[in-house]
Amino acid sequence: MQRTSFYDQISKNKRNSVLLVLPIAALVVALLYVIGYIFAPGLLIFIVMFGIIWMTLQAIVSYKYGDRAVLSVMKAKPADPVKHVYLINTVEGLSLAAGIPAPKAYVIESEEINAFAVGNDPQHASIGVTTGALENLNRAELEGVVGHEISHVKNYDIRLMTMIAVFVGFAAILSYLLLRSFWFSRGSGERGGKGGGLIILAILIGLILAVFAPIATRLVQAMISRRREFLADASSAQLTRYPEGLASALEKIKKKNSGEMNVSESISHLFITDPKRSPLDELFATHPPIEKRIEVLRAM
Amino acid sequence: MLEWILLALIVLIIVILVAIFFGYYNRIISSSNRIDSAWSQIDVQLKKRADLVPNLVETVKGYAAHEKKAIEMVTNARERMVGAAGVKEKMDASGKLTAALKTIFAIAENYPNLKANENFKLLQEQLDGIESKIAYARQFYNDSVLSYNNAITTFPGRWFAERMGRTEQKPYFEVTEKERAVPKVAF
Repeated sequence: MQRTSFYDQISKNKRNSVLLVLPIAALVVALLYVIGYIFAPGLLIFIVMFGIIWMTLQAIVSYKYGDRAVLSVMKAKPADPVKHVYLINTVEGLSLAAGIPAPKAYVIESEEINAFAVGNDPQHASIGVTTGALENLNRAELEGVVGHEISHVKNYDIRLMTMIAVFVGFAAILSYLLLRSFWFSRGSGERGGKGGGLIILAILIGLILAVFAPIATRLVQAMISRRREFLADASSAQLTRYPEGLASALEKIKKKNSGEMNVSESISHLFITDPKRSPLDELFATHPPIEKRIEVLRAM
Repeated sequence: MLEWILLALIVLIIVILVAIFFGYYNRIISSSNRIDSAWSQIDVQLKKRADLVPNLVETVKGYAAHEKKAIEMVTNARERMVGAAGVKEKMDASGKLTAALKTIFAIAENYPNLKANENFKLLQEQLDGIESKIAYARQFYNDSVLSYNNAITTFPGRWFAERMGRTEQKPYFEVTEKERAVPKVAF
């Protein structure tokens, strides 16, 4: 097995992620700009500034309170120190191997085999595992799954994905507003003939942006998330020194899970495998196909 | 005009060189610190284990008092572990304690009442957990040593390391397969 340093991996990863986040941010700003241009050219600068400040505030709020909200939405309960001593030991052991403080362990009541990680940074992270996973996975498999989540924590994946989720949500709201306003302005007839050509061009660009921005941001979200999953699988194998553990856990997940866990799309990327499957998964899936992941792990 | 551009260029180059120097200096120091913190993580686990062992010994005595040899082996190994100083000595003592604990857990298989004891079960799970935590902490230690050794032996880090007087590579812990294996006891 290749023994590249985690630390080099992480910094490389952080760089790549910034490169991927930039186009999303640019799209959102472009959208803001067009909206401002069409509806209030005089206030353009204020609208763009306001949008950026709003986005930052939203990012800060989800950064601070995101993990608590996610934990309560998932009905995750803190792991019992006696009943789940085995899970707690696994989480603590693997965080020792990764050299991060041990995240808090949580348990979710569910038949499905799944696991998730939330938190802003390794100092404030939580890892949750379903009861289905505790019942169905053996020690090596559980270690593989927990190792995957620990890697998400260690690589700062969670923070990044929260940021991206904010951008994606924002792009969706903006383009909805823009499309709605086109609808209305058509109904209310001509809007002043001055500077006609430019306005039409702006409206055209606005329309194109409004239609494509949400799709593009979703695509980038899915792309980043899928890369992260492969990286977390690889890091898990590096932590446990036993790729087969995670591979066979994934195989069990493939066999057992119905893909109908009751979880919102907006947090599905936090899980080890997609809690819900949909026909559009080819394009928008936040996780690579399980078969592919097993194949990559077995080739290690 | 030209002089100013030249001056700016020189300043820029100096700034870049200083930045590179700080970058390497910090990388070497922080990876060396990481090794120390990795060792202290191992030490924490070793201490926790030493604290649990007397409990275990008491519980075992309650059900299998005549297994004196095995009990004594564990007690002795623990004594040596607690008294050990320095990384190497501690790890040696820890290896002995691991072996002794394995023997006692294997013997426990012969005593159904002991095996069914809730306290014993929890102790066993905790000691097992600590065992694997030690293994993981040791793995992290080795990973940290690897990244330190890489930092001071590859170019250009090597050049900085020489100037910092840090040319000596740190030693790895060896994990023997025997330590990880589960003992088989014949009845």
